[in-house]
Amino acid sequence: MRRTGLVTGAGSGLGALAAQRLAAAGWDVVAVDLDEEALARTALRSPNMHTRVCDITDPKAVEALVAETGAPHRVVHAAGIGPMEPALEQSLDEVERILRINYLGTVHVVKATMPGMLERGGGELVLFSSLASWVCTRKTAAYAASKAAINAYAEVLVQEHAGSGVKIRVVCPRQVDTPGFRKAAEADPASTAGMKGMPPRVVLDAVDRSLARPADDLYVFPGALAQITVGLKRHAPGLLRRVLARATAPH
Amino acid sequence: MPVRIRDAGVASAMFAVPARPAQAVIGYSGLEVATPLPGRAICSLAFIRYADGDLGPYHEFAVAFLVRPAAKGGRVGAFIHWLPVNQEFTLDAGRSIWGFPKEIADIPMDLTSRIQRCAVRFGGRTALELAVRPGVPMPSGAGTGGAPKVDAYSCLGGVTRRTPWTMTPSGVRARPGGARLRLGDHPVADELRSLGMDGAHALSTSTVAHLSMEFAEAEEVW
Repeated sequence: MRRTGLVTGAGSGLGALAAQRLAAAGWDVVAVDLDEEALARTALRSPNMHTRVCDITDPKAVEALVAETGAPHRVVHAAGIGPMEPALEQSLDEVERILRINYLGTVHVVKATMPGMLERGGGELVLFSSLASWVCTRKTAAYAASKAAINAYAEVLVQEHAGSGVKIRVVCPRQVDTPGFRKAAEADPASTAGMKGMPPRVVLDAVDRSLARPADDLYVFPGALAQITVGLKRHAPGLLRRVLARATAPH
Repeated sequence: MPVRIRDAGVASAMFAVPARPAQAVIGYSGLEVATPLPGRAICSLAFIRYADGDLGPYHEFAVAFLVRPAAKGGRVGAFIHWLPVNQEFTLDAGRSIWGFPKEIADIPMDLTSRIQRCAVRFGGRTALELAVRPGVPMPSGAGTGGAPKVDAYSCLGGVTRRTPWTMTPSGVRARPGGARLRLGDHPVADELRSLGMDGAHALSTSTVAHLSMEFAEAEEVW
């Protein structure tokens, strides 16, 4: 049986590479993004990749898409945004926009795809959170909150559907080298601690390895730095706060 | 032209095989196997995941032999003896542009686990399986045959071609030994078996986390 994958945010970065890797492995891939031209680049000469322009903040559009393509065997929900701004200067509209895309977008994709997976008795749901949801730094208020909401939502899903055969993974990478990150780092290098983003392939390798682990092993922290940071948060939160404050201080 | 591959991942293994039967295997090309060790030729096996490139995303398995340059003063090259792929576009492009001996197969591969694995199957029947163990990190450019420029030779329909091929690897790991090959039911598997490769120890293995490549236009050798 041919496996099917639904990849959001497939126009660039993590989503594009995830869609291409699944297509390379012979999966039927539905690649979703708002940017039609970017989707066409991702799907170049890939007949088993099917592109769809869809706004994930529109629950009806997401439902219609899944009704058309069927419940996938794997969802890689990589669509999201990460604007950075001081908390008190961020407009309410902007806060709402970030939550709508990152958190509600995730809810829409899960609600549209997970029932079909449950009916089939199996599936893989890969959701993208962020290390920022564990370790909050300057200018990430709305972003970190939207990703922490994804963590909470996924933890509830795991409890409510234990033993269902559906594997959920919440991926919490540090900064990933995507067009969005490069733009943010250029605008304010201090806010990203002057760090280079990690290559999307390293994040996706960690996701692939994690899918071999038991169903309730929810979180994926790609790379040693993310694992150490989360360990410090748990065991030495004061020390971590001081290190981050120094690393991300404006010059 | 050139055709560009922007992101691929590779695992490969080199085997020392007896030169005379190896020459018999590739004799149809008119090329001669290189013998870096007296009486021994080098057969290289590789599995490659092309994610982002001009030929679309696909999986590929390569059986290649180190060969002497076709013309005086040329580089030692890699003769591509067999190149199964799992997608149609690259099949057509590879055969018609460069004369690469591509055919369609199922090629499941795992490039993310500690031991990287690949199989080539036709209609559920396994032709071969290769497992490559992790090596130690190498400076980029090492462990993949040294020079980033290689001549790839092919022979399809009685025409032998040479294709200049440039590789830029990063995230290279290599080690001596480290590969296990299991041969199944296929004419190419029988050929490799005749070279003593079933269950043989590899000379060396390497993995490349990120490889970009360029293939120039092929030229006919004879």
